Amino acid sequence: QVVVPEEVFFTVAAAGILENLLVLIAVVRNKNLHLPMYFFICSLAISDMLGSLYKTLENIFIILCKMGYLTRRGNFEKKLDDAMDSMFILSLLGSIFSLLAIAADRYITIFYALRYHNIMTLRRALVILAIIWTFCAGSSIAIALFSYEVATVIPFTILFPLMMFFILCLYVHMFLLARSHAKKIASLPTSTVHQRTNMKGAITLTIFLGVFLCCWAPFVLHILLARFCPHNPYCACYMSIFHVNGTLIMCNAIIDPMIFAFRSPELWNTFKKMFCC
Amino acid sequence: MSAPRLLSNRTSQQALSNSDYTWEYEYYEYGPVSFEGLKAHKYSIVIGFWVGLAVFVIFMFFVLTLLTKTGAPHQDNAEPSEKRLRLNSFVADFGRPLEPERLFSHQAAEESQSLFHFCINEVEHLGKAKQSQKGPGLESNTHFQEVPRTSGMFEEDLNCLSKFNIPNFVNTEQNSSLGEDDLLIAEPPILLESTSVVQSSHRIMD
Repeated sequence: QVVVPEEVFFTVAAAGILENLLVLIAVVRNKNLHLPMYFFICSLAISDMLGSLYKTLENIFIILCKMGYLTRRGNFEKKLDDAMDSMFILSLLGSIFSLLAIAADRYITIFYALRYHNIMTLRRALVILAIIWTFCAGSSIAIALFSYEVATVIPFTILFPLMMFFILCLYVHMFLLARSHAKKIASLPTSTVHQRTNMKGAITLTIFLGVFLCCWAPFVLHILLARFCPHNPYCACYMSIFHVNGTLIMCNAIIDPMIFAFRSPELWNTFKKMFCC
Repeated sequence: MSAPRLLSNRTSQQALSNSDYTWEYEYYEYGPVSFEGLKAHKYSIVIGFWVGLAVFVIFMFFVLTLLTKTGAPHQDNAEPSEKRLRLNSFVADFGRPLEPERLFSHQAAEESQSLFHFCINEVEHLGKAKQSQKGPGLESNTHFQEVPRTSGMFEEDLNCLSKFNIPNFVNTEQNSSLGEDDLLIAEPPILLESTSVVQSSHRIMD
């Protein structure tokens, strides 16, 4: 059993929660940021916050259990455990769908540029978010209640790579367009585009998807292994690093605002104003 | 976590002695797992998984990098009409319907700057000296009469473009606040997205 020191755990969790809370506050306070794009980023921040919150609460409960304040087999604890499981699954599903929404929003921005504001009105964005979160809440409760069925684990695990692949396709398409744009610009007389600058696009895209993959995939694999081969020594070895997987998920909560929210100059300026005044 | 609970259900069905319900990560409750006689290393799945993940990410990165081998042609002094033609065909390639579209508000235009808009703007700024073509009409002329950008700004904007900050890129030259109404010009100019166009159009329409 590989153990992550509790101080590290709590620090990482607290940092994640704080950062995402800041993003939310910044978007709420600045009227310029009341746009569909930022609402989707907020949705991502909320799901990251839920994930970190879950881990924190769980750790607190384990500590309380160890100290003897809570029994291990009480009904109350079981219900609490159920509630916390569903919160975690809600966070995971919310993350996936928020990333999907952000990618789709960017896709529409580029490929349906002239009609973007007819397609993606503020009201529609809110409706989409409401649908996403209702669906996630419903599935998370269902999954938490029926977690002993095979039928829940399989779709849950398939959803993950499917979404990843779809998001990858969207971004690659956008990336190809960016590249052809750069080509056109490079063919103009006064352009001095270096090939190096095109690398940045590749790097950015790899970071987007690589971070999500590296942070969530270990956990999804853990769920799969726990369901299908818990007694296999190899699987048991993998499952012993569960704490590390949990910490990775919280690191994802810290990194996500950096690569999505903080890249917007407007949001960054709002932050500076919040802290410097 | 659901995993320990799930396992404890199964283990209780198998009537193992140490199958307590708990939601802690105490994997000894899964039953004694012996590590004797393993052919491969204990942590082979862990190592294999992380190596596989790293390989996949690097592979994805290389694929994307290969896509960026643009082989940009050298600078030519193309004819302005040629440039305009190229631009038109380029835009037409994306199948943008030439129907009357509503203009975007200042805020909306600012926030929905895409690479598409940005590149078109840049090309227009470069070609602003050649205003002989009729093009979409009024608004393109007003667009051409804007304050020209410096080449330094162009460079910086290109860097923004390649940073792939599509909706995050805020056009820094916007500084007026036009409010939320949008319908200004009925024609669907290709270069509609710059708010300086909007501003100039406002001025002309009023």
